[in-house]
Amino acid sequence: MGERQLLKKEATTDITEHNFSALEKALTMEGAEVVKEIKEAGLKGRGGAGFPTGLKWELALAEEADDKYLICNADEAETGTFKDRYLMENVPFKVLEGIIIAAYAVGANKGYIYIRGEYSKPIKIFTKVLKDAYDEGLLGASILDSDFNFDLRLIKGAGAYICGEETALLNSIEGKRGKSRTKPPYPIQSGLFGQPTVVNNVETLTSAREIIDLGAEEYGALGTEESKGTKLVCLSGDISKPGVYEVEFGELTIREIIEELGQGVKNDEQLKFIIPGGASTSIIPAEKMDVDYSYEAIAEIGSSLGSGAIIVLDDTHSLLDLMVNVSRFFMDETCGTCFPCKDGNKQLNYLLKKAVQKGGFTKKEIELIRSIGETIILSARCGLGQTSSNFINSIFDNYQAEVLQRGNEDAEN
Amino acid sequence: MPKIKIDGEELEVELGTTILEAAKEVQVNIPTLCYLEELSVYGGCRLCVVEIEGEKNLKPACATEIAEGMEIKTHSEKVRRVRKNIFELIISSHNIGCELNCLDCSWNISCELKEIAELIEIDQSRLDSINERYDDDNSSHAVVRKMNKCIDCTRCVRKCEEIQGVGIFTKANRGPETLITTFKNKGMGNVECANCGQCIHACPTGALHESYHYNSVWHFLNDDSKFVVVQTAPSVRVALSEGFGEEPGTVATGQMVAALRRLGFDRVFDTNFSADLTIMEEGYELIGRIKEGGKLPMFTSCSPGWIKFIEHFYPEYLPHLSTCKSPQQMLGAVAKSYYAEQHGINVEDMIVVSVMPCTAKKFEASRLEMEDDVDFVLTTRELIRMIKESGLDMMNLAEEKADKMMGASSGAADIFGATGGVMEAALRTAYEVITEEELGKLDFKTLRGLAGIKEAEVEIGELTVKAAVAHGLGNAKELMERIEAGAEYHFVEVMACPGGCVGGGGQPVPTNQETVEKRLNSLYQIDAEKKLRKSHENPEIKAIYEEFLGEPGAKKSHDLLHTHYIPRSI
Repeated sequence: MGERQLLKKEATTDITEHNFSALEKALTMEGAEVVKEIKEAGLKGRGGAGFPTGLKWELALAEEADDKYLICNADEAETGTFKDRYLMENVPFKVLEGIIIAAYAVGANKGYIYIRGEYSKPIKIFTKVLKDAYDEGLLGASILDSDFNFDLRLIKGAGAYICGEETALLNSIEGKRGKSRTKPPYPIQSGLFGQPTVVNNVETLTSAREIIDLGAEEYGALGTEESKGTKLVCLSGDISKPGVYEVEFGELTIREIIEELGQGVKNDEQLKFIIPGGASTSIIPAEKMDVDYSYEAIAEIGSSLGSGAIIVLDDTHSLLDLMVNVSRFFMDETCGTCFPCKDGNKQLNYLLKKAVQKGGFTKKEIELIRSIGETIILSARCGLGQTSSNFINSIFDNYQAEVLQRGNEDAEN
Repeated sequence: MPKIKIDGEELEVELGTTILEAAKEVQVNIPTLCYLEELSVYGGCRLCVVEIEGEKNLKPACATEIAEGMEIKTHSEKVRRVRKNIFELIISSHNIGCELNCLDCSWNISCELKEIAELIEIDQSRLDSINERYDDDNSSHAVVRKMNKCIDCTRCVRKCEEIQGVGIFTKANRGPETLITTFKNKGMGNVECANCGQCIHACPTGALHESYHYNSVWHFLNDDSKFVVVQTAPSVRVALSEGFGEEPGTVATGQMVAALRRLGFDRVFDTNFSADLTIMEEGYELIGRIKEGGKLPMFTSCSPGWIKFIEHFYPEYLPHLSTCKSPQQMLGAVAKSYYAEQHGINVEDMIVVSVMPCTAKKFEASRLEMEDDVDFVLTTRELIRMIKESGLDMMNLAEEKADKMMGASSGAADIFGATGGVMEAALRTAYEVITEEELGKLDFKTLRGLAGIKEAEVEIGELTVKAAVAHGLGNAKELMERIEAGAEYHFVEVMACPGGCVGGGGQPVPTNQETVEKRLNSLYQIDAEKKLRKSHENPEIKAIYEEFLGEPGAKKSHDLLHTHYIPRSI
């Protein structure tokens, strides 16, 4: 038991050392065949939502348009997530291959890689990757002497979390305010500059590259029924050995990931809970940690695998402080368009700070906070708002008794 | 056509219909706030969310199109709970809670939040007020922005951009710092604002209102040493009564004059008089330009929103603007010269107040080129406030007539308040002056109505006058693009506001397509019922030229009644 390295293998930032076998293979296939491989391999989006990648590509391929766009979403900003950075820094040519293969499969001739602005090293690396790729005929006209043309440009984000949301990202590339768009239409129908657009996460595209390289059958043999292949896990927080680990789905439990790969909780403290996919997912308490690492197993216990961040928390933290911290994040990062997200997260932050000052909540306050949280989840415009109170709700679900204000639980105000 | 169910009612609706529209077909009104029919869909306020069978999240009715088999619940338990919560969040995050300041709010009689509170049965407010504190934007001569009341619904942003084609507002920052602002937060007075005030009509909360002059006017009305005169624009008389519960378009000319006298104005003049005067000056200017090869097309200059717009965006076209002052400014200028001289009034003691449907008139009155003509400008709304404050039962006052010398007008002046009206008035006079024949049919129907841009060719003797009319600055922009692309006209009328002055930024709330149309029809009705329908036949106009001005466009007219313009940057 341990890591199952696929994505992490054959690291290099030197174009002459990289073997573009997957791309070469893809270019000998029809676009539809490439799509079929991805579908058969059962790849799901690695950015957080877990949408089937093959289906997305299939729908995009079916769209008729003058221009189609392929966008690599490298605006990695989910809390505790740093796997895309790892890929861009260590296996950038695999990422590039994934992008070109995806573009080829759906028939896109233009693309962007949108890297978050704080990622100075990946930006530097990818700037050179693009230059080298153009020089070597891997981008531009007649890629590897095929009749496929594809232009790729790098866009630097400016540090807004919301721009990782695919429609806000499109607005950002268009030079507009980074706010989410109302869906439908989905980007596949009308995305960048109104054209059909596929937005895929860095790890998704890199995994697609592995699928073409190995073949759907071999790749699909890895993992579980609902979760195929491998996944990068970002271990952070109160963990002895934080870092990016690659695991085969279903191979390890979360507890094993923490104890074997991360070598346990730091300073021998007691594990309290983990956040499995960044601050927008519900926590998993220590006693439920013997769950297989897969989309379906984690969903079954009421959370979500999300982006693959595992933030480990020991029992020395104030739950109230953590809640304020998370709510501050969402309050600051909402794009400010829809009222429930903008005003709701602000109100939640206010109510949580108030609770910190007096050392806990009354039951009535918890009811109010949950009610606002529900409103945000049910009525917000995009994924940011729709997941922004998961963390807070899950603290109440698991630790309500610990956050009540002692002696004043039943107060009216 | 897809079949759907709304609250159990089955219906068939066209594809592309939104849930909001479909609900109306089964007599269900879903509450909305950021939605305005004339603007693009924003989907921000989420008050219109509904539950769709099988969907986890609620969907905004304004932005969601129906699909075959959709089962929609517009007021399920979940929907009701969420709507009320959102409403509570809005009032807690902005300085608009009733206990705070409803009473002194400019929107106290027309607040949409109050309407929504009633519609969704708000019965509690559990949240503390946690609004940010912003300074008011007082940088503009025309419009004040009270940021603490702004809920970021972007209706002003979209109105300015989509209808007016100007776009001075934008959303800035994110998270709790999100706000609507102007470029670099410079303030409305320091950006390309046309001062049209259409944003005020778009605002649901009273975060925008005109720069108030009524307190100053009260002050001078109570100062016996001052001779305070007032003038009223054509479209005030067809809208003022709305403030007193009358149907839009109810004409209240006589009651208005009586009310102004009761308020204490020493003389009540009519801007219609100076509208006729404008036609004389502008008509002769046009004839002159055509005969002497001057700059064509000539653009009308009555709408100060249009003037500011062209100064910013098309400064190279300034020589095309008629040099005529607007009727408001002309009346001020002759009140302080002609009337003052004839009645031995010391000009220093004369205060000229105008009542306008317009916020841009406030800016116009402050322009250095003609600063002394008009001292204070009241909007229709401000006059309503003053009449209410004075306790007058206006609609039951006996009708009175405006004061002589500058009180008579032709029907041509009345229609100045409607899009196409200035053009029509000018053509009536130009025809008779040029051909020296009587014009048979006075109504130029092609110039009437609410089409965005209207074009007409009018035979005047041997000359075919090509005319174009645009209302709303978005349409003006389109017309300017046509001109830049080579379209040729002799005469172009532009009004900054949709519908013309009847839809002005200073008119009563609501000002929308329906109220604008009713006011417009009333103006044409007044014109049709008048015997005197041509500016040059107005006896008081004849008198002012005989006794004071001489000829249209002559030296005295030129000094008093004409102005110049300033190229501005963008």
